[in-house]
Amino acid sequence: MQTSTGAQEGLGHQQKPPVPVPQELLAELRKIVGEANCIHESSQLRTYESDGYATFRATPGVVVLPATTEEVSLSVKAAAKYGLPVVPRGAGTGLSGGATPVPGCVLIGLSRMRKILEINLEDGYLLVQPGVINLDVSKVLAPKGYYYAPDPSSQSVCTIGGNVAENSGGAHCLKYGFTVNHVLGLRMVLHDGTIVDLGGPTLDAPGYDLTGVVVGSEGLLGVVTEVYLKALRKPEATRTFFATFPTTKEAGDAVSMIIAAGILPAAIEMMDTLAIIAAKAATGLDWPEPGAALLMDVDGPLDEVEHTAKHAGELAKKAGCIELMLPKDENERQLMWKGRKSAFAAVGRISRNYIVQDGTIPRSEIGRVLGEIARLSTEFGLRVANVFHAGDGNLHPLVLFDARVPGEEKKADALAGEILRICLRAGGSITGEHGVGVEKALYMGEMFTNDDLDTMAKLRCAFDPANRFNPGKVFPTPRLCGDRPGLYKAHPTELSGQAERT
Amino acid sequence: MIWGAEAQEPATIEEAQDMLREAYSARRTVAFAGGGTRLGLGARPKGVQTVLSSKGLTKILEYAHSDQVVVAESGVTLSQLQAELGKNGQRLAIDPPQPEKQTLGGIIASNAFGPLRARYGSVRDLIIGVVIVRIDGVRAKGGGKVVKTVAGFDLPKLMCGSLGTLGFIAHAIFRVHPSPEATSTLTSAGLSHAEVNAACAAMRAQQLEPVALLASRTGPGKFDLSVRFEGFKRGVEQQATKASAIARLAPADDQVWTAHAAVLCGGPVRVKISTLPTALAKADAAFPQGKLDFYPLLGLGFVTGDLTAETLSAARAALSPGHVVVEEGTLDAWGPAPAAIALHKAMKNRFDPQGLIAPGRFIGGI
Repeated sequence: MQTSTGAQEGLGHQQKPPVPVPQELLAELRKIVGEANCIHESSQLRTYESDGYATFRATPGVVVLPATTEEVSLSVKAAAKYGLPVVPRGAGTGLSGGATPVPGCVLIGLSRMRKILEINLEDGYLLVQPGVINLDVSKVLAPKGYYYAPDPSSQSVCTIGGNVAENSGGAHCLKYGFTVNHVLGLRMVLHDGTIVDLGGPTLDAPGYDLTGVVVGSEGLLGVVTEVYLKALRKPEATRTFFATFPTTKEAGDAVSMIIAAGILPAAIEMMDTLAIIAAKAATGLDWPEPGAALLMDVDGPLDEVEHTAKHAGELAKKAGCIELMLPKDENERQLMWKGRKSAFAAVGRISRNYIVQDGTIPRSEIGRVLGEIARLSTEFGLRVANVFHAGDGNLHPLVLFDARVPGEEKKADALAGEILRICLRAGGSITGEHGVGVEKALYMGEMFTNDDLDTMAKLRCAFDPANRFNPGKVFPTPRLCGDRPGLYKAHPTELSGQAERT
Repeated sequence: MIWGAEAQEPATIEEAQDMLREAYSARRTVAFAGGGTRLGLGARPKGVQTVLSSKGLTKILEYAHSDQVVVAESGVTLSQLQAELGKNGQRLAIDPPQPEKQTLGGIIASNAFGPLRARYGSVRDLIIGVVIVRIDGVRAKGGGKVVKTVAGFDLPKLMCGSLGTLGFIAHAIFRVHPSPEATSTLTSAGLSHAEVNAACAAMRAQQLEPVALLASRTGPGKFDLSVRFEGFKRGVEQQATKASAIARLAPADDQVWTAHAAVLCGGPVRVKISTLPTALAKADAAFPQGKLDFYPLLGLGFVTGDLTAETLSAARAALSPGHVVVEEGTLDAWGPAPAAIALHKAMKNRFDPQGLIAPGRFIGGI
């Protein structure tokens, strides 16, 4: 969507030739990670030219796949010696271009660091390397009756390191919170190769909450190489329903009524007709095709859950629900969730290309905002499918288009941008869980003032004064740290009262 | 007078900006205060010339109850906020002591919490946005007014537990939760360390979900265990019934939580312990004297009494890699600086390069 960085390449456009890294650096990196784990052939580098956000592509100078924290540290040191930017990468499933290479950069792929180092269920934590797949954490804990709560839709392929970078959410973060609420501490490599430990298995380490700051920093502060995660005991019971409604308005009313009744569902998801059709196509589920549907989970102690599930069902009916479908067993329940979680990919079955958006709005604005999106959809002549986390107002409008039709991609970009602006006008955010990356960097200036961004830049400069990590992401314009930390100095006209900053 | 300096009380964020801009250009040292209940945290700041108090910032700015989000000025007390949220059957799910005095800004800056932390986390898990005034008078916001946003760096979390050493917290935005329909407390007296740990394991095994759990020392190696359940009536009753089969837990009144609140703000010396949840025995051995209240689901505990410097340094060694910080009293507040101290210092330098804010109060002399 962004239209003004040097790294940008349109879909299907010709690539620029890769910028090679100096031979000496290549030799050093080979020595650090081994010949096989140092990728520099241009055909192989193409694999890394984008993440899940494929609109922008750039070729890294070299890709290293370290196996240890020390190898990461040495690789960063080597890159720093040659003044090259470093871009960390997990599974590359991100949807905002957070792992898009800077042309000629040293890209550090963490896919080989996939060990689970420690599990301590009595004390409620485990220690993992960043390349561990999200779902594998829950799988390893499952036999003991434990799990890892954050569940992004890509959880079967995305990695913990990527989750930490993006502060990933998922359907169930309504009740359980995001990655940041489940990371106790981490080990990371800083811009000069220094290795630091932040937080840990014991809470409240003295000092600033740097763990909280690093989670969600989109790879701009350093390379995370170990992560302490919370392991949660599985809830006693889960009750799920799939409820259909004539339109998204009644579905939105149902969500509001459920929340107003003091119920905190584990997840409550909404899909509109287009999204339902896509999900059906992908899973073969025998769902009707109503104007909207809700998929809700409540979990917790059995009696509590029986009570809330029943009450929520009654409220859904009161709000105008057409049909309330309950899964007959766990298999069917999993299938319902598969329908929801595969919705993005499923849209690929009904449209050649699409853009996923990720704006958040206050929950009470859902009905109105969906109306505005529908109006824009008609105005632009492009279909928009909606599938989203209704409980916390995190929309995922999917703008469908055909890149073969001249001008349609541009139109889709513009429509997606307008949707973000609607979210901002409603008092929301440009991104609920996908991150800013390169995709939404330009919109940061619409959500935050220059002073806000300047303050965030101070935080970055504290970690990475050279702006070595992931340059070009998150911030709409480059903000250098300078030799000395710069602070605002009042302009003479301000001091004399002739002007003021707002 | 706070820290030997006159307190200024801006009534608006603009006034706070003016005051800081002025102090900044005159290179005067400043410190920030809220309700004044936790000024003992950290080392005593050196040579404070001006104190900026949030007492005049007492407005609840926005409360969208259907969105479960509230925006308030930092001088709003927790009681004031809870009273407003209570009108819609909601609450901020945090329960530090002295809510009638503790301000939102103070709770954020000092990471204040109570037993509910076991279920809802600490203020870092509830805050979603913040507006701060930097030492140069510039105002900046982070986060937003929606529960779910990952746009930009997390200034709200950076403020949590920072003891006001990076900037003045002017506004805070929180997610709020529904107040429970029912609540139930059970206690059991005279449990050993092993029995406390076994009770916790049994609750986990039975998939009980207590919102609070407290082990309170009554004698050498002896603890009263208290557990609280909250939620809808049926669920609470079921959980209380199941829990009563564990470790002789029996229904009790709320008195235990009131007594615990007194420990959370007690003295003359008070320390906070953080260790592993199952390390109750270690905490007990490290602090054999005084009152000890411990959260066995979190590994956090509080000790009050006449603690000596010797006890403290021995306890720090014994509980490492956990932490012991002094919350009240004249002992060494922080102990040895953490390994990543350079990074903490760099953060401070970026926000306060002249070191004008509460000099020396934070870890490693920050």
